[in-house]
Amino acid sequence: MGQRTSRSNLRKVLALACLSLSASLFLPALTGGAAAADLTLSSKTYGLFYERELSGGQKDKYAPLYEYLSTDATNIGGKPVSFHFYGWGRVDLGDDTGDNGTSGEVGSLYLEYLHPEGNAQLKLGRFFMTEGSAVGIVDGGFAKVTTPVGLGISVYGGVPVEYSIVDNVSGGSSVYGARLFFAQSGFVEIGASYVKENGDVSEKDLELYGGDLWLRVANGVELTGQATYNQDASEMAYQRYAVRIVPGSTFDIAAGYESYTYKGLFRGALNPAFLSPSVNPNDKVSSIFGVLDWEFVPGWTLELSGKSLDHKEGDPGDAIRGGVGLRYTYNDKKDVAGLSAAFVSADQAANEYQEYRGFASYSPGKFRVTLDALTVQYKQEINGKDDQFQVVGTAGYQLLASLQISGSLAYTQSPDFEEDWAGLIRLNLDLGTSTGGKK
Amino acid sequence: MMRRATAVTVFGAALLALLFSCSAVSQTPSVPPKHPEDLPTGRVDCLECHKDVSTGALKPYSGFRHSSVFIGSHGTYSRQGQNLCTSCHSPAFCQTCHAGKEEIKPNVKTGDRPDRMAPHRGDYVVTHRIDGRLDPGSCYRCHGNKSDTRCKQCHK
Repeated sequence: MGQRTSRSNLRKVLALACLSLSASLFLPALTGGAAAADLTLSSKTYGLFYERELSGGQKDKYAPLYEYLSTDATNIGGKPVSFHFYGWGRVDLGDDTGDNGTSGEVGSLYLEYLHPEGNAQLKLGRFFMTEGSAVGIVDGGFAKVTTPVGLGISVYGGVPVEYSIVDNVSGGSSVYGARLFFAQSGFVEIGASYVKENGDVSEKDLELYGGDLWLRVANGVELTGQATYNQDASEMAYQRYAVRIVPGSTFDIAAGYESYTYKGLFRGALNPAFLSPSVNPNDKVSSIFGVLDWEFVPGWTLELSGKSLDHKEGDPGDAIRGGVGLRYTYNDKKDVAGLSAAFVSADQAANEYQEYRGFASYSPGKFRVTLDALTVQYKQEINGKDDQFQVVGTAGYQLLASLQISGSLAYTQSPDFEEDWAGLIRLNLDLGTSTGGKK
Repeated sequence: MMRRATAVTVFGAALLALLFSCSAVSQTPSVPPKHPEDLPTGRVDCLECHKDVSTGALKPYSGFRHSSVFIGSHGTYSRQGQNLCTSCHSPAFCQTCHAGKEEIKPNVKTGDRPDRMAPHRGDYVVTHRIDGRLDPGSCYRCHGNKSDTRCKQCHK
């Protein structure tokens, strides 16, 4: 209770600070004329419709209506300050899909200062952060600076935004960390990071040490690496090392090694799927992987991928995953058609399947239609069926330069559904006061 | 309480140090907060306009061509900095997948863009039983700290 109260108080302080700063920056900007800020506003509305047959033969009709809203204001008042908001809400127009008919979330709400030089930056509010070993949404602050010699530091702290519906389990009460790095333009970036999350996920706090590397060993040849050590679990949580050859615009190939331990990586999980008894905490996965993306003639791209999955523990056994795909881009890059096949070959028949997919889009003028078909063949039956397939068709029309409407219809047969139809209406509104990329 | 006070002190001291060190900031121009030109539809190839090394990421633009190789390893790059990403992508783009609470699958939201790499196509609740057994680390990145009512139906 005490942790929840302090977390709530910290959130209130941060929200007030963010709002005060927003007001102090926005009010002069709004009265400052046309050049006050570059604004973009994106509204995405989704109306879904589907049925579910419950045990006992009852059929529920669901019609959730979602609104996803995001707005970004840059160059506020002519200063290198920006404001970002992203959030969504849901109202059920049919039967209740959960949480008594409504739900929603503020995903991002933060102010950012980006120094004109050296990529120095400050963030305050709620934001999604990836920095060294830290990945997640945080209510708090973030600062980063690089010095002329290439040495730099980033520091952050706040309250992690984590969710769990499991009884008596909630996210951490606070998180803080730092990353020290050295970067030399076009040649190397190497970093060491630390993150600590205090909280009531388990009896111990989460404490991670990390390292990351990007190194260009020759023109078009990169080495990358990242490693995270979990102090509390005394385990190397995650490692990934790769060599990538990307000499230009048409050829890209990478190969490497990846491994993680369940005890180390999942120690901070809130989802019971990652915790014992769902998983064996003593297991470890080691992988060799390779990926190729090659535009062998203009518009035609070949994609290959392969990954071995070796488990330290006997169950669930080892596996090899492979895939091949062909993509054709046309109509001035507005449209793409593709075919792909993937397989999983495993020690246990229950883990084997093959997946085939085909898709295409066609965009004449203001119209756009797409078709996407997928089938999966399972080696061993699941719920008495050994395959699934789904076909999704969409049709859309650009009503205005900033307004597009489209609808999707999906038909599915699978081990979980004898026959399932689902519909979706999509309305996209994109407004902006200037040109430029934000998508 | 003691730990929290220490954390706040360390964080505050680090922020102050950063403020004082602003005069020592690298003079390399920062990436603009917003890409000045409209971007074409589909996979982006920075090399169509840019050459050499990005001042923001301090890495060659060729590495940021949105091939399947890059998309599959974008986390490696973003862990060293997101300024180049955020010049073209708003937070909403990242949180299409990396969300706290999310109820619509990415491939459903982007159903009119089947060319985009989006996880969980088809009735993925069935296939995830296999992928989750074999490679749960690939699920953890987005679902580790989020469990919704659908998860709880089986994972109790």
